[in-house]
Amino acid sequence: MLLKYVMRRVLATIPVVIGVTLITFSLMHATAQNYIPGVDLNPALKPEDIEAIKRYLGLDRPLYIQYLTWLTNLVHGDFGRSMTDGSTVSSHIFDRLPATLELTVTAILLGIVISIPLGVTGALRRGSKLDHFFTALSVGGFAVPAFWLGLILILIFSVQFQAWGLPFLPSGGVITPGTEGGDLLDRLVHLIMPATVLSFVYISIWSRFTRSSMLEVLGQDYVRTARAKGMTERRVVYLHALRNAVIPLVTLVGLELPALVSGGLVVEVVFSWPGIGKLLYERAIQTDYTTVLGITTFAALLVIFGNLLADILYALLDPRIRYA
Amino acid sequence: MISPLPIEVDLPQESRAPARVARSYWQEAWGRLRQNSIGMVAGGVLVFFVLVAIFAPLLAALITHQNYQTLDLTNTFAPPLSPNHILGTDDLGRDELTRLLFGARVSMGIGFLAVFVALTIGAAVGLVAGFYGGLIDGLLMRFVDIILAIPAIFLFILMAILFKPNTVTLALIIASVGWGSIARLVRGEVLSVRSRDFMVAGAALGARDSRLIVRHLLPNVMHVMIVFGSLYLGQVVLIEAALDFLGLGISPPTPSWGNMLTNAETFFFHSRTLAIFPGITIFLTVLAANLFGNAVRDAFDPRLR
Amino acid sequence: MAETVLEVRNLTTHFKTPEGVVKAVDGVSFELHAGETLGIVGESGSGKSVTALSVMRLVPRPGQIVKGEVRLKNRDLTSLTEAEMQEIRGVSIAMIFQDPMTSLNPVFRVGWQVAEPLFVHQNMDRIRALAEADKMLGRVGIPNPKERARDFPHQFSGGMRQRAMIAMGLTTMPPVLIADEPTTALDVTIQAQILELLRNVNREFGTATILITHNLGVVAGMCKRVIVMYAGKIVESGPTADVFAHPKHPYTWALLKSIPRLDADQRQPLRPIEGIPPDLIDLPSGCSFHPRCPFKIERCKRDTPSLIPVGDTQIAACWVTQSGVELKDA
Repeated sequence: MLLKYVMRRVLATIPVVIGVTLITFSLMHATAQNYIPGVDLNPALKPEDIEAIKRYLGLDRPLYIQYLTWLTNLVHGDFGRSMTDGSTVSSHIFDRLPATLELTVTAILLGIVISIPLGVTGALRRGSKLDHFFTALSVGGFAVPAFWLGLILILIFSVQFQAWGLPFLPSGGVITPGTEGGDLLDRLVHLIMPATVLSFVYISIWSRFTRSSMLEVLGQDYVRTARAKGMTERRVVYLHALRNAVIPLVTLVGLELPALVSGGLVVEVVFSWPGIGKLLYERAIQTDYTTVLGITTFAALLVIFGNLLADILYALLDPRIRYA
Repeated sequence: MISPLPIEVDLPQESRAPARVARSYWQEAWGRLRQNSIGMVAGGVLVFFVLVAIFAPLLAALITHQNYQTLDLTNTFAPPLSPNHILGTDDLGRDELTRLLFGARVSMGIGFLAVFVALTIGAAVGLVAGFYGGLIDGLLMRFVDIILAIPAIFLFILMAILFKPNTVTLALIIASVGWGSIARLVRGEVLSVRSRDFMVAGAALGARDSRLIVRHLLPNVMHVMIVFGSLYLGQVVLIEAALDFLGLGISPPTPSWGNMLTNAETFFFHSRTLAIFPGITIFLTVLAANLFGNAVRDAFDPRLR
Repeated sequence: MAETVLEVRNLTTHFKTPEGVVKAVDGVSFELHAGETLGIVGESGSGKSVTALSVMRLVPRPGQIVKGEVRLKNRDLTSLTEAEMQEIRGVSIAMIFQDPMTSLNPVFRVGWQVAEPLFVHQNMDRIRALAEADKMLGRVGIPNPKERARDFPHQFSGGMRQRAMIAMGLTTMPPVLIADEPTTALDVTIQAQILELLRNVNREFGTATILITHNLGVVAGMCKRVIVMYAGKIVESGPTADVFAHPKHPYTWALLKSIPRLDADQRQPLRPIEGIPPDLIDLPSGCSFHPRCPFKIERCKRDTPSLIPVGDTQIAACWVTQSGVELKDA
């Protein structure tokens, strides 16, 4: 039954959460052991003051207590503080998360919307020139480095178009600097290139997957039954077959949901997109270990819960699991 | 008293059985692979890049007569087909083609090393977990879950700033996450093979665990590893190039296809072509690895079965 | 004599494969009369399923109907467009298949699947169609049909699924029903129930039924007339009682002899048919059965026998029996 299934999955994730937090905590301890927030900012601090601050922050307590504190903080949404400027990681995450989600969710939606027709067409016209073309596109698309694709698109649609006097796309950012950000068209124009680049890899994989899933379903007995009932080919393909063929695709898409936060890093950097990935990169360059680890922990927890969600979603969609 | 069964069975003359030469599993797979022209070409391209990587200095001496480090500030951003510089020069006047040749060393080197390490560790973990099952399996797979929960790029970036990697360490960093996927894959395959009769028979005959694992289990899951290895090679090349591009991997003056693209955007006004070549080489390598991997997969598991 | 609802004339279906042309169905002709149950019997590869699929024009690629006519109430189905054929399927001819687990769509509720022909073909509104489906499920013997209709196929047992398939085929009250091995995938006890159901359906609704099976016992209990197929051709046909009592083709004879009998002498060895079924790409010369035939004569290797009346009520394609020889043990 559904409830039992969910309970089992939840129980299985607990050790993983512990494991991940243990690792990030250890790394945190190893890299920023004696870090006091703000110590660099105030050189006038005396050693006694530093000791006092240490005691205040609990840095003199035994390791396992520190770990438990870290864990408790996580539960309350406290992911630590930056080494370089003392700001809270969670505030950064809060600031940047919407931008990242805007990018990755759009990319995923774009991926789904384009992959399904591509895959279905490939299956229906199997072996045709069109099918071969789509397959070549998929295989090629999977091999293109995302950062290079982004670069080339910028060079063409931003730089070159501008040089040619054509209307051009902005090369970075979420909105045109100086504006308030309320203009939908402006946001869209900024979103289009990075989202396309990010969706490229999704489309490559998902369209081929849809195609093979569709082919498999079309060979099933129940499709033959639908035809024997005199259903039109359209109904057989788009109702009887497709409904079954997309189930595995949902699992695949679900596998991407956990990567919602981290998947866009390279694209964010190339397009100066102010998201979490770019934040991590910027902070990494500054060797701001605590921020980097705080973000990593956040992302890892998201992965774990994202996987859980995907499992539940799958169970909901497939009546064989739901009503088992 | 039951009468004895007739021993001779008369088959009518007309029934014929086709004569077939017995071939081993591997021979059959290789035969199918040979027939796959796309796969063979892809394999050839990979071999080509490996050879380029190995013989880069020789090739450079023969073709371009350049060193990848030679600066020539008087001749920066030379376009392709300039004298002495077939593919032009970069922002510091270094020959592009030579740098591409040496860049192959980085990509291929890191690629194969990472694949080797990931396959070895991953296969070992997968085999043991699948073979013994129970608690060992549970523990190992939880550990894999933990590794795979942390977003790979974040981990790579973190380790890159911690360790300032050279080629070898970068390969190890990348492999430190990759082994997880292969472990899961191998374990899955092991589970399906584990309960087959020949495994039980081997144990019944007194074979030790290590013998069962290495001599009986491993050959039957090898095909999964080969396919994954080929596809993973492409992934590694992409990851490594991305890290270099971000300035966190191999840094100049050592040329890598990734770091050759690092400032391509800035230099676009001076040279259109600089941004294109390294991307093409990455693309071709990854494409070849993917196509070869697909071909190998088809060779081991034809739909005809 | 009841009227003929379905007439198949010289139906020939070939499959073009890289290894050659598979002559799955080779010049098959028969008639189906209103209200009767006709059995088609044969081993795997005899062409019985492909014959049924050809009638429905559902032969999968690379198969193709090469020759012949299929007349349903004087319309030749082989000449119809696909759109016209879709009007016939599920309405005038219904077909149910062997494995009800894989033949029902796993993601749609059973009641909906049973009702679908009603709201697609007869433009019935959903509520009424579903109600009709519930009724039909009840008539095929499913308990609590209203609740069970909302279930998914995997929640049904094997026998119930097959009942649901039968309901699905009958909702539009088609004059012809083709059942392709409807009991082969079921437990023996359930088999009897399903056959009983089919008998009742035939009686109550008067549906002319073609029952395809490899099981002679099923034929004996269900079909007034039977057709025996071998290697894509009909080798014998006639009233079941007559065919079983005095078969007029060596294949039928050997088939009947090969059935183990409880009352046989324990010391008697089993009598399988010698040899193996023929390769449909490379059929033997003359009579396709001759390599395995215990009665063959010289002519059998050379000339292909045609179906002609042998005896009072049967037709058979055999040189030996056509010349008056009685089939019996040497």
